[in-house]
Amino acid sequence: MNKTIIININSIVFHIEEDAYDTLRSYMIDIKKHFGNTAESKEILEDIENRIAEMFNERIQTGRKEVINLDDVQQVIEQMGRVSDFEESEAVTVEEGFRDEQQTRQAPHVEYVGKKLMRDPDDKMLGGVCSGLAHYFGIEPVWIRILLVLFVLIGGSGILAYIILWIVMPIAETRADKMAMRGEEPNLQNFKKSYDEKAKGFSETLSGAGERVGSGVRTAGNLVSGCLGLIGKMIAWIMLIFAGLNLLGLFIFYMFNMMNFFGLENPMFFPPLKGLATNDGIIALTFGFLAIAIPFFALFFWLIRVLFKTDKINSYLSLTMFAVWIVSIVAIVYYCIAASQDFREESTINVQKNIQPQEIYYFTEKDIRVLDASEQDSLKSKFNIQLDGQDLRNYLHRDISIYFESIDSLSQPYIQYSYSAKGKTYQLASERADNIAYEGIQEDQTILFPSHFLLKKNALDRDQRVRVVVYLPQGAKVVLQRNIESKIRDISYWECQNNYPNGGQQKYTEWTMSSTGLLCAQLPKPKKEEEQEEKDEVESRREASLDNVAIEKDSVIHIDGSNVTIEVKDKNVKINTKKEDS
Amino acid sequence: MIAENTQTQMRKGILEYCILSIISRGEIYASDIIGELKKAQLLVVEGTLYPLLTRLKNNQLLSYTWKESTSGPPRKYYQVTAEGRAVLARLDVTWKELVFAVETSLQGRND
Repeated sequence: MNKTIIININSIVFHIEEDAYDTLRSYMIDIKKHFGNTAESKEILEDIENRIAEMFNERIQTGRKEVINLDDVQQVIEQMGRVSDFEESEAVTVEEGFRDEQQTRQAPHVEYVGKKLMRDPDDKMLGGVCSGLAHYFGIEPVWIRILLVLFVLIGGSGILAYIILWIVMPIAETRADKMAMRGEEPNLQNFKKSYDEKAKGFSETLSGAGERVGSGVRTAGNLVSGCLGLIGKMIAWIMLIFAGLNLLGLFIFYMFNMMNFFGLENPMFFPPLKGLATNDGIIALTFGFLAIAIPFFALFFWLIRVLFKTDKINSYLSLTMFAVWIVSIVAIVYYCIAASQDFREESTINVQKNIQPQEIYYFTEKDIRVLDASEQDSLKSKFNIQLDGQDLRNYLHRDISIYFESIDSLSQPYIQYSYSAKGKTYQLASERADNIAYEGIQEDQTILFPSHFLLKKNALDRDQRVRVVVYLPQGAKVVLQRNIESKIRDISYWECQNNYPNGGQQKYTEWTMSSTGLLCAQLPKPKKEEEQEEKDEVESRREASLDNVAIEKDSVIHIDGSNVTIEVKDKNVKINTKKEDS
Repeated sequence: MIAENTQTQMRKGILEYCILSIISRGEIYASDIIGELKKAQLLVVEGTLYPLLTRLKNNQLLSYTWKESTSGPPRKYYQVTAEGRAVLARLDVTWKELVFAVETSLQGRND
């Protein structure tokens, strides 16, 4: 028992079995594609259909049956010939015949001259430049497109190149153009090939069997790109470039941060990561990278899919990516909480050190990044670390603040150091505070404060701070070197420095300890004097420039050493002081 | 490749000449032309004939008339036009020249 379908070929009705119908339909689609869509091919198709109808009719009459089956269809196809047979024999028969006709109609040049660089309107994202180039070089357009995107990423040169090519390259409008673009000889077979691309369903010719079978993917793709339009595409391109740049930036950032963890020092280091131990840091950094990069990656791929009509990304891969992203987010939250826990408790250790009383106290900074041999040894014994210029930076901290307070004029001056650090527990915080090594060094009148304090190797950054309070008796004179200025709190170093006549050039400032704290010893510059100075300056400048001066119009005084020449042209007077040496 | 190409070139002209000759004998239906060509071992499948006939017709070398058929739809019967006959006469001359040329060229070849 078989299902039958009623079809109508050239106004003759046939009953045909379903499988036979399917075979016939695909055969007719092949033929339709082969012959294309001109008036001429319409006639050819009509002839063929007519003949098929006739052959079916003969079979029904002779075979005394009512239904066309698969066997009948196959025999008819055998007799009529498959498309491959046509191609074979057309190479023998038709090729040259159409050639002259087609050429005079569509291609001005008779000889095949090689490929032409033209834009392809049938396979385009923007202007068909890439596909045109691809035809010219005989490669897949996607490679040209990737290359273009690369050039866009490298300084945007791709955009300019694309625009220039768009303007310069003509569009391949006619079939002859398209063939020239592909480097095909403009003959009938190739014309047919290009007709194929435009083949429509053959519902008009085989009305019963008519069911439109577009080349699915292509049609759908065209529809999408059609809807997007040029503006949509431009936006998509910009977003693609943006997403790509972001990914690239993130990756570079990730790599450089990673290098820091593995001992390759570089300045690109995300500050919060310093608060984590190396192992935790690597994990946190990786999760952080994934949490940000995956959405950009997804956007990037989606845009690639829209723009280049590529296949959907593997669903397992996308699911995995999504899962990784969720895990990354969770991990980041965990590390944030864990790290903030480590800052919960704070501990401060106070240490008091006396200093020798002096009439004048010089305070200066000692840059400990410059090490001499003996210090290197002491550091080694103290912290068990071998230091050179590069390594040192890891252990250096500069959160140091210096205050000055007054005490009774007869009291012993001293310095109070407060070492603070944070930790999960008070004990941990205290341990960390205890590990801070920082102390000023007195050399007679001069007190040196190191520029940085050191932490033991592998010590984590837990908000370690040093607060230094210098207690000096009232009336004490203090000289502050400029290099210590950045550590001084509460008093305005710059205001005092500006009181000096040479302002910014001043290397030190002098202060006096009063009951309220340090006061600038230098009085502000009197303003009147300043103005007077300026005036003098202007005058002296005027004198100096009195070399060639126009007094009136056309009158010139020329001074050349001891000789003065005055010329007044109006009155035709010329005075010369030059001695007439004989 | 060259051999194939030469074969193609040779058959190409001959096929059209033969079709014109067959039709010039009198009104004929397309599938009968196929029969004749099959006998001459020039064409095997019908489908290839239709484009050729259409082209010759469009070049005014052929014309056709519709005739009722006992077994189905009306049929196209082809005949050669006056122009077609003129072309055929020219082709006859050319063919004789070709036969002479080929025979002369082949003479004295020992294989």
